[in-house]
Amino acid sequence: MPLGADRYASRADTLLFLGCIGLSVVAMSLPDRWRDPIAQGLRQTVLAPFLALQQQTELLSAARAHYDAVVAERDSAALAATFLPELRSENGRLRSLLGLGARLAWGYVPAEVLHQPEPTNPLSFVVSAGRQKGVRPLSAVVSSEGLVGLVSSVDAQTSVVLTWAHPEFRASAIANDGSVSGIVAPHGAAGPGVWLLELKGVPYRQQVVEGTVIVTSGLGGVFPRGIPIGTVVGIAGEAKGWERTYLVRPAIHPSALSHVMILTAARGTSADLRGAFQPDSVRP
Amino acid sequence: MRRTDRYRYWLVLIGLVVLHFTVRERLGGDRVAPDFLLLALLIYTIRAQPGRSAAAGFVIGLLRDALTPASFGAGALAHTLVGYLSSWAKAVFFAENVFVNGCLFFAGTWLRNLIVLLASGRLGGAQLGWELLVWSPMQSVTTAAVGIVVLWLFGRWVAFRRAEA
Repeated sequence: MPLGADRYASRADTLLFLGCIGLSVVAMSLPDRWRDPIAQGLRQTVLAPFLALQQQTELLSAARAHYDAVVAERDSAALAATFLPELRSENGRLRSLLGLGARLAWGYVPAEVLHQPEPTNPLSFVVSAGRQKGVRPLSAVVSSEGLVGLVSSVDAQTSVVLTWAHPEFRASAIANDGSVSGIVAPHGAAGPGVWLLELKGVPYRQQVVEGTVIVTSGLGGVFPRGIPIGTVVGIAGEAKGWERTYLVRPAIHPSALSHVMILTAARGTSADLRGAFQPDSVRP
Repeated sequence: MRRTDRYRYWLVLIGLVVLHFTVRERLGGDRVAPDFLLLALLIYTIRAQPGRSAAAGFVIGLLRDALTPASFGAGALAHTLVGYLSSWAKAVFFAENVFVNGCLFFAGTWLRNLIVLLASGRLGGAQLGWELLVWSPMQSVTTAAVGIVVLWLFGRWVAFRRAEA
Protein backbone atom coordinates (compact mmCIF):
# COMPACT_ATOMS: atom_id res chain seq x y z
CA MET A 1 0.00 0.00 0.00
CA PRO A 2 1.57 3.33 -1.01
CA LEU A 3 2.17 5.85 1.68
CA GLY A 4 0.96 9.33 0.96
CA ALA A 5 3.74 11.81 0.45
CA ASP A 6 2.02 14.32 2.67
CA ARG A 7 1.91 11.85 5.52
CA TYR A 8 5.41 10.63 4.89
CA ALA A 9 7.59 13.72 4.51
CA SER A 10 7.50 15.81 7.63
CA ARG A 11 8.27 19.48 7.84
CA ALA A 12 11.66 18.64 9.32
CA ASP A 13 12.43 16.55 6.29
CA THR A 14 11.50 19.38 4.01
CA LEU A 15 13.59 21.84 5.96
CA LEU A 16 16.53 19.49 5.98
CA PHE A 17 16.18 19.00 2.26
CA LEU A 18 16.00 22.70 1.60
CA GLY A 19 18.98 23.27 3.88
CA CYS A 20 21.04 20.75 1.95
CA ILE A 21 20.01 22.33 -1.32
CA GLY A 22 21.01 25.69 0.00
CA LEU A 23 24.38 24.43 1.18
CA SER A 24 24.93 22.81 -2.18
CA VAL A 25 24.24 26.05 -3.96
CA VAL A 26 26.59 27.83 -1.58
CA ALA A 27 29.25 25.22 -2.28
CA MET A 28 28.79 25.74 -5.99
CA SER A 29 29.18 29.46 -5.71
CA LEU A 30 32.23 29.37 -3.50
CA PRO A 31 35.30 31.02 -5.00
CA ASP A 32 38.25 28.80 -5.78
CA ARG A 33 40.32 30.10 -2.89
CA TRP A 34 37.73 28.76 -0.45
CA ARG A 35 36.64 25.74 -2.44
CA ASP A 36 40.06 24.20 -2.80
CA PRO A 37 40.96 24.19 0.93
CA ILE A 38 37.60 22.59 1.74
CA ALA A 39 38.08 19.89 -0.86
CA GLN A 40 41.65 19.39 0.28
CA GLY A 41 40.53 19.10 3.90
CA LEU A 42 37.94 16.50 3.02
CA ARG A 43 40.48 14.50 1.04
CA GLN A 44 42.96 14.59 3.90
CA THR A 45 40.48 13.61 6.60
CA VAL A 46 37.25 11.78 5.81
CA LEU A 47 38.31 10.51 2.42
CA ALA A 48 41.87 9.68 3.37
CA PRO A 49 41.25 6.03 4.36
CA PHE A 50 39.16 5.44 1.25
CA LEU A 51 41.74 7.00 -0.99
CA ALA A 52 44.41 4.93 0.70
CA LEU A 53 42.29 1.86 0.05
CA GLN A 54 41.92 2.84 -3.57
CA GLN A 55 45.64 3.48 -3.82
CA GLN A 56 46.43 0.07 -2.38
CA THR A 57 44.03 -1.52 -4.83
CA GLU A 58 45.71 0.30 -7.67
CA LEU A 59 49.09 -0.79 -6.41
CA LEU A 60 47.86 -4.35 -6.14
CA SER A 61 46.47 -4.21 -9.63
CA ALA A 62 49.70 -2.70 -10.96
CA ALA A 63 51.72 -5.27 -9.04
CA ARG A 64 49.71 -8.07 -10.58
CA ALA A 65 50.19 -6.63 -14.04
CA HIS A 66 53.88 -6.15 -13.31
CA TYR A 67 54.10 -9.69 -11.99
CA ASP A 68 52.54 -11.03 -15.18
CA ALA A 69 55.03 -9.03 -17.22
CA VAL A 70 57.94 -10.30 -15.13
CA VAL A 71 56.75 -13.87 -15.46
CA ALA A 72 56.46 -13.43 -19.21
CA GLU A 73 59.96 -11.97 -19.37
CA ARG A 74 61.32 -14.77 -17.22
CA ASP A 75 59.68 -17.37 -19.44
CA SER A 76 61.11 -15.70 -22.52
CA ALA A 77 64.54 -15.60 -20.94
CA ALA A 78 64.29 -19.24 -19.93
CA LEU A 79 63.25 -20.17 -23.44
CA ALA A 80 66.12 -18.18 -24.90
CA ALA A 81 68.51 -19.78 -22.44
CA THR A 82 67.58 -23.25 -23.66
CA PHE A 83 68.84 -22.25 -27.09
CA LEU A 84 71.95 -20.51 -25.80
CA PRO A 85 74.35 -23.49 -25.93
CA GLU A 86 73.14 -24.31 -29.41
CA LEU A 87 73.55 -20.71 -30.51
CA ARG A 88 77.03 -20.53 -29.02
CA SER A 89 77.97 -23.76 -30.71
CA GLU A 90 76.65 -22.59 -34.05
CA ASN A 91 78.34 -19.25 -33.60
CA GLY A 92 81.63 -20.99 -32.91
CA ARG A 93 81.25 -23.19 -35.96
CA LEU A 94 80.45 -20.22 -38.16
CA ARG A 95 83.45 -18.32 -36.83
CA SER A 96 85.74 -21.24 -37.49
CA LEU A 97 84.21 -21.67 -40.93
CA LEU A 98 84.95 -18.05 -41.65
CA GLY A 99 88.50 -18.66 -40.53
CA LEU A 100 88.74 -21.62 -42.86
CA GLY A 101 87.40 -19.54 -45.71
CA ALA A 102 90.09 -16.95 -45.11
CA ARG A 103 92.77 -19.63 -45.13
CA LEU A 104 91.43 -21.36 -48.22
CA ALA A 105 91.26 -17.96 -49.87
CA TRP A 106 89.69 -19.24 -53.10
CA GLY A 107 88.20 -22.27 -54.81
CA TYR A 108 85.29 -22.94 -52.51
CA VAL A 109 81.57 -22.32 -52.32
CA PRO A 110 79.86 -21.75 -48.98
CA ALA A 111 76.57 -23.50 -48.53
CA GLU A 112 73.92 -23.94 -45.91
CA VAL A 113 72.87 -27.40 -44.85
CA LEU A 114 69.16 -27.91 -45.40
CA HIS A 115 68.49 -30.37 -42.63
CA GLN A 116 65.52 -32.68 -42.85
CA PRO A 117 63.83 -34.46 -39.99
CA GLU A 118 64.41 -37.93 -41.38
CA PRO A 119 66.75 -40.18 -39.39
CA THR A 120 68.82 -40.86 -42.50
CA ASN A 121 69.63 -37.18 -42.86
CA PRO A 122 73.17 -37.59 -41.46
CA LEU A 123 73.98 -40.03 -44.26
CA SER A 124 73.20 -37.59 -47.02
CA PHE A 125 71.78 -34.12 -46.99
CA VAL A 126 70.99 -31.25 -49.27
CA VAL A 127 72.98 -28.05 -49.33
CA SER A 128 71.98 -24.68 -50.72
CA ALA A 129 74.53 -24.43 -53.49
CA GLY A 130 74.31 -26.00 -56.90
CA ARG A 131 75.51 -25.90 -60.41
CA GLN A 132 75.00 -22.16 -60.76
CA LYS A 133 77.61 -21.58 -58.07
CA GLY A 134 80.13 -23.89 -59.65
CA VAL A 135 79.45 -27.04 -57.68
CA ARG A 136 80.22 -30.25 -59.53
CA PRO A 137 79.67 -33.89 -58.61
CA LEU A 138 82.43 -35.46 -56.50
CA SER A 139 83.43 -32.09 -55.09
CA ALA A 140 84.79 -32.34 -51.58
CA VAL A 141 82.60 -30.98 -48.79
CA VAL A 142 84.40 -29.74 -45.72
CA SER A 143 83.77 -27.86 -42.52
CA SER A 144 86.27 -26.08 -40.34
CA GLU A 145 86.75 -29.32 -38.40
CA GLY A 146 87.49 -31.48 -41.43
CA LEU A 147 85.98 -33.69 -44.08
CA VAL A 148 82.20 -33.93 -44.28
CA GLY A 149 81.73 -35.90 -47.50
CA LEU A 150 81.43 -35.36 -51.19
CA VAL A 151 78.82 -34.08 -53.58
CA SER A 152 76.91 -36.92 -55.16
CA SER A 153 74.51 -35.03 -57.39
CA VAL A 154 74.02 -31.42 -58.36
CA ASP A 155 70.97 -29.38 -59.26
CA ALA A 156 70.86 -25.81 -60.39
CA GLN A 157 70.35 -24.41 -56.89
CA THR A 158 71.10 -27.29 -54.58
CA SER A 159 73.36 -30.29 -54.23
CA VAL A 160 73.16 -33.61 -52.47
CA VAL A 161 76.07 -34.39 -50.19
CA LEU A 162 77.08 -37.93 -49.37
CA THR A 163 78.57 -37.79 -45.90
CA TRP A 164 81.34 -39.99 -44.52
CA ALA A 165 78.62 -41.97 -42.69
CA HIS A 166 77.08 -43.18 -45.91
CA PRO A 167 77.88 -46.87 -46.56
CA GLU A 168 79.25 -46.05 -50.01
CA PHE A 169 81.70 -43.45 -48.77
CA ARG A 170 85.41 -44.15 -49.26
CA ALA A 171 88.41 -41.91 -48.99
CA SER A 172 92.13 -42.49 -49.42
CA ALA A 173 93.79 -41.46 -46.16
CA ILE A 174 97.13 -41.14 -44.48
CA ALA A 175 98.29 -40.29 -41.03
CA ASN A 176 98.96 -36.63 -40.56
CA ASP A 177 102.68 -37.37 -40.28
CA GLY A 178 102.55 -39.56 -43.39
CA SER A 179 103.59 -42.71 -41.56
CA VAL A 180 100.69 -44.93 -42.61
CA SER A 181 98.12 -44.94 -45.35
CA GLY A 182 94.87 -46.74 -45.98
CA ILE A 183 91.26 -46.44 -47.01
CA VAL A 184 88.73 -44.79 -44.75
CA ALA A 185 85.17 -46.11 -44.80
CA PRO A 186 82.17 -46.16 -42.44
CA HIS A 187 82.66 -48.66 -39.68
CA GLY A 188 79.18 -50.16 -39.83
CA ALA A 189 75.74 -49.73 -41.16
CA ALA A 190 73.94 -50.45 -37.90
CA GLY A 191 74.41 -49.96 -34.20
CA PRO A 192 76.55 -47.38 -32.48
CA GLY A 193 79.46 -48.05 -34.84
CA VAL A 194 77.62 -46.39 -37.67
CA TRP A 195 78.96 -43.04 -36.48
CA LEU A 196 82.57 -44.20 -36.54
CA LEU A 197 84.97 -44.60 -39.41
CA GLU A 198 87.56 -47.27 -39.93
CA LEU A 199 90.96 -47.04 -41.51
CA LYS A 200 91.48 -50.21 -43.51
CA GLY A 201 94.45 -51.64 -45.29
CA VAL A 202 97.10 -50.63 -42.81
CA PRO A 203 100.02 -53.08 -43.01
CA TYR A 204 100.17 -55.37 -40.00
CA ARG A 205 103.63 -54.30 -38.99
CA GLN A 206 102.77 -50.62 -38.94
CA GLN A 207 101.38 -49.53 -35.59
CA VAL A 208 99.09 -46.53 -35.39
CA VAL A 209 98.88 -45.06 -31.95
CA GLU A 210 95.66 -43.69 -30.53
CA GLY A 211 95.21 -40.04 -31.17
CA THR A 212 96.85 -40.09 -34.55
CA VAL A 213 95.14 -37.63 -36.85
CA ILE A 214 94.04 -39.09 -40.16
CA VAL A 215 93.80 -36.81 -43.18
CA THR A 216 93.00 -37.27 -46.82
CA SER A 217 95.94 -38.40 -48.90
CA GLY A 218 95.08 -36.64 -52.15
CA LEU A 219 95.16 -39.93 -54.06
CA GLY A 220 92.19 -40.98 -56.15
CA GLY A 221 91.44 -37.57 -57.62
CA VAL A 222 88.50 -36.74 -55.38
CA PHE A 223 89.75 -35.13 -52.18
CA PRO A 224 92.67 -32.76 -51.95
CA ARG A 225 95.46 -33.78 -49.61
CA GLY A 226 95.40 -32.74 -45.97
CA ILE A 227 91.70 -32.53 -45.07
CA PRO A 228 91.28 -33.91 -41.54
CA ILE A 229 89.08 -36.99 -41.42
CA GLY A 230 89.30 -37.99 -37.79
CA THR A 231 91.38 -39.40 -34.99
CA VAL A 232 92.38 -42.99 -34.34
CA VAL A 233 90.73 -44.31 -31.21
CA GLY A 234 91.66 -47.98 -31.32
CA ILE A 235 91.99 -51.19 -33.28
CA ALA A 236 88.85 -52.50 -34.94
CA GLY A 237 90.29 -55.83 -36.14
CA GLU A 238 92.98 -57.76 -37.92
CA ALA A 239 92.87 -59.77 -41.15
CA LYS A 240 94.96 -62.93 -41.16
CA GLY A 241 98.09 -61.20 -40.03
CA TRP A 242 98.26 -59.08 -43.13
CA GLU A 243 96.63 -55.88 -42.15
CA ARG A 244 94.98 -54.05 -39.34
CA THR A 245 91.84 -51.98 -39.26
CA TYR A 246 91.68 -49.00 -36.94
CA LEU A 247 88.66 -47.20 -35.57
CA VAL A 248 88.61 -43.53 -36.39
CA ARG A 249 86.50 -40.98 -34.62
CA PRO A 250 85.29 -38.54 -37.28
CA ALA A 251 86.31 -34.91 -37.10
CA ILE A 252 82.73 -33.73 -37.41
CA HIS A 253 79.31 -35.30 -37.13
CA PRO A 254 77.01 -34.43 -40.05
CA SER A 255 74.05 -33.60 -37.83
CA ALA A 256 76.09 -30.91 -36.06
CA LEU A 257 76.60 -28.96 -39.24
CA SER A 258 74.74 -25.86 -40.25
CA HIS A 259 77.10 -24.57 -42.92
CA VAL A 260 79.73 -26.26 -45.08
CA MET A 261 82.18 -25.38 -47.78
CA ILE A 262 82.29 -27.13 -51.11
CA LEU A 263 85.69 -27.19 -52.75
CA THR A 264 85.25 -26.41 -56.42
CA ALA A 265 86.91 -28.19 -59.30
CA ALA A 266 89.05 -25.13 -60.03
CA ARG A 267 91.11 -25.88 -56.96
CA GLY A 268 91.96 -29.39 -58.15
CA THR A 269 93.04 -32.25 -55.91
CA SER A 270 96.75 -31.81 -56.04
CA ALA A 271 96.93 -29.04 -53.47
CA ASP A 272 97.85 -29.75 -49.85
CA LEU A 273 95.31 -28.24 -47.52
CA ARG A 274 96.88 -29.20 -44.22
CA GLY A 275 97.77 -25.59 -43.55
CA ALA A 276 94.21 -24.45 -44.11
CA PHE A 277 92.73 -26.41 -41.27
CA GLN A 278 93.37 -25.37 -37.73
CA PRO A 279 95.74 -27.56 -35.77
CA ASP A 280 93.05 -28.21 -33.19
CA SER A 281 90.32 -28.91 -35.69
CA VAL A 282 90.72 -32.60 -35.04
CA ARG A 283 90.71 -33.08 -31.31
CA PRO A 284 92.43 -36.15 -29.94
CA MET B 1 13.95 -4.55 13.60
CA ARG B 2 16.29 -7.07 15.08
CA ARG B 3 19.64 -5.79 16.17
CA THR B 4 21.48 -8.19 13.89
CA ASP B 5 19.47 -6.92 10.90
CA ARG B 6 20.59 -3.40 11.65
CA TYR B 7 24.23 -4.48 11.62
CA ARG B 8 23.79 -6.41 8.41
CA TYR B 9 22.12 -3.43 6.81
CA TRP B 10 25.08 -1.22 7.59
CA LEU B 11 27.46 -3.97 6.54
CA VAL B 12 25.86 -4.00 3.11
CA LEU B 13 26.23 -0.24 2.80
CA ILE B 14 29.84 -0.29 4.00
CA GLY B 15 30.55 -3.14 1.61
CA LEU B 16 29.27 -1.05 -1.27
CA VAL B 17 31.47 1.86 -0.23
CA VAL B 18 34.49 -0.43 -0.06
CA LEU B 19 33.64 -1.90 -3.44
CA HIS B 20 33.50 1.59 -4.86
CA PHE B 21 37.10 2.27 -3.91
CA THR B 22 38.46 -1.16 -4.74
CA VAL B 23 36.85 -3.08 -7.57
CA ARG B 24 35.13 -0.33 -9.50
CA GLU B 25 38.27 0.51 -11.44
CA ARG B 26 38.32 -2.99 -12.83
CA LEU B 27 34.74 -3.03 -14.01
CA GLY B 28 35.23 -0.97 -17.12
CA GLY B 29 35.67 2.69 -17.83
CA ASP B 30 34.71 5.43 -15.41
CA ARG B 31 31.67 6.35 -17.42
CA VAL B 32 30.32 2.81 -17.62
CA ALA B 33 31.30 1.10 -14.37
CA PRO B 34 28.55 0.90 -11.73
CA ASP B 35 28.47 3.67 -9.15
CA PHE B 36 28.56 1.81 -5.83
CA LEU B 37 28.45 4.99 -3.75
CA LEU B 38 25.28 6.17 -5.40
CA LEU B 39 23.86 2.69 -5.07
CA ALA B 40 24.60 2.74 -1.36
CA LEU B 41 22.75 6.05 -1.12
CA LEU B 42 19.77 4.71 -3.06
CA ILE B 43 19.59 1.61 -0.90
CA TYR B 44 19.84 3.81 2.17
CA THR B 45 16.87 5.82 0.93
CA ILE B 46 14.79 2.64 0.89
CA ARG B 47 14.67 2.81 4.66
CA ALA B 48 15.42 6.39 5.53
CA GLN B 49 13.04 9.30 5.50
CA PRO B 50 13.44 12.01 2.85
CA GLY B 51 15.19 14.47 5.11
CA ARG B 52 17.84 12.02 6.20
CA SER B 53 18.16 10.78 2.65
CA ALA B 54 18.73 14.32 1.44
CA ALA B 55 21.35 14.87 4.15
CA ALA B 56 23.09 11.62 3.31
CA GLY B 57 23.00 12.61 -0.34
CA PHE B 58 24.48 15.98 0.48
CA VAL B 59 27.33 14.40 2.47
CA ILE B 60 28.10 11.83 -0.21
CA GLY B 61 27.88 14.44 -2.91
CA LEU B 62 30.15 16.83 -1.05
CA LEU B 63 32.73 14.08 -0.52
CA ARG B 64 32.61 13.24 -4.18
CA ASP B 65 33.00 16.88 -5.03
CA ALA B 66 36.19 16.87 -3.04
CA LEU B 67 37.46 14.24 -5.45
CA THR B 68 36.28 16.15 -8.51
CA PRO B 69 36.80 19.79 -7.60
CA ALA B 70 36.01 20.92 -11.14
CA SER B 71 32.32 20.59 -10.37
CA PHE B 72 32.42 21.38 -6.68
CA GLY B 73 28.92 21.65 -5.24
CA ALA B 74 27.21 20.12 -8.25
CA GLY B 75 27.61 16.64 -6.83
CA ALA B 76 26.23 17.71 -3.49
CA LEU B 77 23.22 19.28 -5.15
CA ALA B 78 22.63 16.27 -7.39
CA HIS B 79 22.94 13.69 -4.64
CA THR B 80 20.75 15.74 -2.34
CA LEU B 81 18.01 15.88 -4.93
CA VAL B 82 18.37 12.23 -5.88
CA GLY B 83 18.38 11.11 -2.26
CA TYR B 84 15.30 13.13 -1.40
CA LEU B 85 13.37 12.17 -4.53
CA SER B 86 14.30 8.52 -4.22
CA SER B 87 13.11 8.34 -0.65
CA TRP B 88 9.97 10.23 -1.52
CA ALA B 89 9.32 8.01 -4.54
CA LYS B 90 9.75 4.90 -2.44
CA ALA B 91 7.14 6.28 -0.08
CA VAL B 92 4.75 6.97 -2.92
CA PHE B 93 5.17 3.77 -4.86
CA PHE B 94 6.17 1.57 -1.94
CA ALA B 95 6.98 -1.36 -4.19
CA GLU B 96 9.03 -4.32 -3.05
CA ASN B 97 9.52 -5.38 -6.59
CA VAL B 98 12.88 -6.08 -8.17
CA PHE B 99 11.95 -4.46 -11.44
CA VAL B 100 10.69 -1.31 -9.76
CA ASN B 101 13.82 -1.12 -7.63
CA GLY B 102 15.95 -1.59 -10.74
CA CYS B 103 14.08 1.26 -12.41
CA LEU B 104 14.66 3.38 -9.33
CA PHE B 105 18.41 2.72 -9.46
CA PHE B 106 18.49 3.42 -13.19
CA ALA B 107 16.54 6.65 -12.89
CA GLY B 108 18.53 7.77 -9.85
CA THR B 109 21.84 7.32 -11.61
CA TRP B 110 20.72 9.03 -14.78
CA LEU B 111 19.13 11.90 -12.88
CA ARG B 112 22.26 12.38 -10.81
CA ASN B 113 24.38 12.59 -13.96
CA LEU B 114 21.92 14.99 -15.55
CA ILE B 115 21.96 17.35 -12.56
CA VAL B 116 25.74 17.22 -12.24
CA LEU B 117 26.19 17.98 -15.91
CA LEU B 118 23.70 20.83 -15.92
CA ALA B 119 24.78 22.31 -12.61
CA SER B 120 28.47 22.20 -13.35
CA GLY B 121 27.99 23.59 -16.85
CA ARG B 122 31.19 21.93 -17.95
CA LEU B 123 29.80 20.17 -20.99
CA GLY B 124 27.58 21.35 -23.75
CA GLY B 125 26.30 20.55 -27.20
CA ALA B 126 27.16 17.19 -28.62
CA GLN B 127 29.25 16.23 -25.60
CA LEU B 128 26.30 16.77 -23.31
CA GLY B 129 24.09 14.73 -25.63
CA TRP B 130 26.56 11.88 -25.72
CA GLU B 131 26.87 11.89 -21.95
CA LEU B 132 23.15 11.93 -21.32
CA LEU B 133 22.03 9.64 -24.11
CA VAL B 134 24.88 7.15 -24.30
CA TRP B 135 27.20 7.04 -21.34
CA SER B 136 24.77 7.88 -18.57
CA PRO B 137 22.26 5.22 -19.62
CA MET B 138 25.06 2.67 -19.77
CA GLN B 139 26.24 3.56 -16.29
CA SER B 140 22.67 3.56 -15.09
CA VAL B 141 22.16 0.08 -16.48
CA THR B 142 25.28 -1.31 -14.79
CA THR B 143 24.39 0.39 -11.51
CA ALA B 144 20.86 -0.92 -11.67
CA ALA B 145 22.12 -4.41 -12.45
CA VAL B 146 24.43 -4.38 -9.45
CA GLY B 147 21.64 -2.98 -7.31
CA ILE B 148 19.31 -5.78 -8.32
CA VAL B 149 21.98 -8.33 -7.49
CA VAL B 150 22.55 -6.73 -4.09
CA LEU B 151 18.84 -6.73 -3.33
CA TRP B 152 18.56 -10.31 -4.53
CA LEU B 153 21.42 -11.41 -2.29
CA PHE B 154 20.73 -9.24 0.76
CA GLY B 155 17.13 -8.23 0.23
CA ARG B 156 16.03 -9.40 3.65
CA TRP B 157 18.67 -7.29 5.36
CA VAL B 158 17.78 -4.08 3.56
CA ALA B 159 14.04 -4.67 3.40
CA PHE B 160 11.73 -1.73 3.65
CA ARG B 161 10.81 -1.06 7.29
CA ARG B 162 9.73 2.49 7.24
CA ALA B 163 8.17 2.50 10.64
CA GLU B 164 11.36 1.23 12.25
CA ALA B 165 13.81 3.41 10.36
